[in-house]
Amino acid sequence: MLLEARNLTKRFGGMTALSKVDLCVRPGEVRGIIGPNGSGKSTLFNVISGVYRPEPGASIVFNGEDITDREAHEIARRGVARTFQLLRIFTGMSVLENMLIGHHSLIGYGSASAVVGSRKVWAEERRVRAEMMELLAFIGLADYADMPAGELSGGQRRLLALGRAMAMKPKLLMLDEPAAGLSPVNVDILLNTVLALKNRFGLTVIIIEHILKVVMETCEIVSVLEHGEKIAEGSPAEIKEDHRVIEAYLGKEMRDEEVRAFLQSA
Amino acid sequence: MATEAVRNAEQTAQSGVIASTVGSLHPIVPWIIAWLCLLPVPFFLMNTYTQFVVNVICINIILAVGLNIVKGFAGQVTVGHIALAAIGAYASAVFSTKLGLPFWVALPAAMLVTGFAGAIVGIPSFRLEGAYLALATLGLAESVRIVISGTEWLGAGIGYEGIPPPSIGGVSLGDHRSYYYITMPLALLGLYFSFSILSSDIGRAFKALREDPLAAAASGVNVRKYKVIAFVISALYAGCAGSLQAHMSPGFLHPNSYTITEMVTLLLMVVFGGIGHIWGGVIGAIVVTIIDDLTRDYYQYRMAMFGSVIVLTVMFMPRGIGGIIDDMIVRRRFKAIRRRRAEQAAAAPGGEA
Repeated sequence: MLLEARNLTKRFGGMTALSKVDLCVRPGEVRGIIGPNGSGKSTLFNVISGVYRPEPGASIVFNGEDITDREAHEIARRGVARTFQLLRIFTGMSVLENMLIGHHSLIGYGSASAVVGSRKVWAEERRVRAEMMELLAFIGLADYADMPAGELSGGQRRLLALGRAMAMKPKLLMLDEPAAGLSPVNVDILLNTVLALKNRFGLTVIIIEHILKVVMETCEIVSVLEHGEKIAEGSPAEIKEDHRVIEAYLGKEMRDEEVRAFLQSA
Repeated sequence: MATEAVRNAEQTAQSGVIASTVGSLHPIVPWIIAWLCLLPVPFFLMNTYTQFVVNVICINIILAVGLNIVKGFAGQVTVGHIALAAIGAYASAVFSTKLGLPFWVALPAAMLVTGFAGAIVGIPSFRLEGAYLALATLGLAESVRIVISGTEWLGAGIGYEGIPPPSIGGVSLGDHRSYYYITMPLALLGLYFSFSILSSDIGRAFKALREDPLAAAASGVNVRKYKVIAFVISALYAGCAGSLQAHMSPGFLHPNSYTITEMVTLLLMVVFGGIGHIWGGVIGAIVVTIIDDLTRDYYQYRMAMFGSVIVLTVMFMPRGIGGIIDDMIVRRRFKAIRRRRAEQAAAAPGGEA
């Protein structure tokens, strides 16, 4: 297992956002996470990536190492990259600088030589800039390298958020609603980019998504959350048939045929 | 298409033989040229007083550039910078008078002390942001000033006298003209370090934590570490400037030179010049120091004047003069990209843009 998260619980005051969730992901897998609004999907990401501390009793093992109580930047350094639902790209920095921040932990010169401005710093800067330009070209933003990221369109911002995560050379890529707000054409472009990146760099991917079509088409295994609990897990085909999933998404009142028709259309 | 874009970018980068020749030199070369150009300046100045103002400008450039690192680039709203200068000034004074150290030792020693103080000023930034951080640093700053005015052996409210000017081999550099040959190279050196720090990965990490600390952490940036680094670096600048203030003729320090008024003046330099813009800090330091000097007869209105200029600057040009320059550059790049796209579309009709 690349990621083995067990017994994750997170409470905010009296509200339990995440309750005893397990999530185990094999290397090379594309995992989907679905669930209604407020079901704890983003909280799950935040706990795994170190933004929130889980309640005691949890254990997160990544790549054979216990990362349960590590801070966010330490977890990132170990190869866990994530995107945010609200993207959080650095709008006041250039597109290339955004990428370079993603590459931050892999830049190989010390603070002292950076202050003095040695040749080593120069050579390294040139090397990483070229490398990031290549990655930008791969996601199709090379033309905008020197633009402030705030000038990009919505779709380009989503690509940049993905690119910045990829700049970390991660082992695990966690995407929080990567396709939200995109037109169908752009959704396809984005998904193709994700899959191309996955194949090229041998990534493991976890995707949170509301658009069921995305999850059903790209993911091998889908985990379903509701009210902070994992209510189902299995292949897309199994999930489509699962009663609890159908209830969670559509409520109990809906008649079976209608439900099935809805899910099939997705 | 994508590789083509990379090639285009590389070509733009390589265009111009002169640019590439200059580019292959060590980045300190332009600064040495600037130093050579600035060497004869004292011989064009009318009198000692003008020379004094030029020295103050150099010191204020060091202060403003240092403040810009922590405030403009790392985005930490501190109003404690002037207190750090006070610590540097008094530390340097104590080192040279009480311990008898020469200026050349007292200056770096004072910088070290100030750097340490800077780390302490930076600690509140782990938990506080924006206006709250400003209040915390203001409290620290004022307490430094009050402690100085209440401490007998630091001259208390009377002031600290008799700080010796720097000397080389027994020759005193006490007059304003020779002092220029200390302040000017240090200002240039400060600028050089500022540029190399801010164009490196450290500078990018500063900007990232200014923009979005959470996203920075998720990208592997150790937010606390870089906050402390920013505070310490800017404190080193303040310590250097403070030491220069202490040893400048007539070698006298008074706690009233480190009040909130001075802090507002310093903030004005950075805000007017352009927050997060290195040259902006330089422009701001020059303009504000000159205005400050020309209006010294109306000293009592200074706060009202500078305060309203800050408000007007924030309202009508929030990124200062430097920001206006940056916008012009960005607009030109936008045009270039649009033109290239149009050319590509024309070259391949019906092709996808």
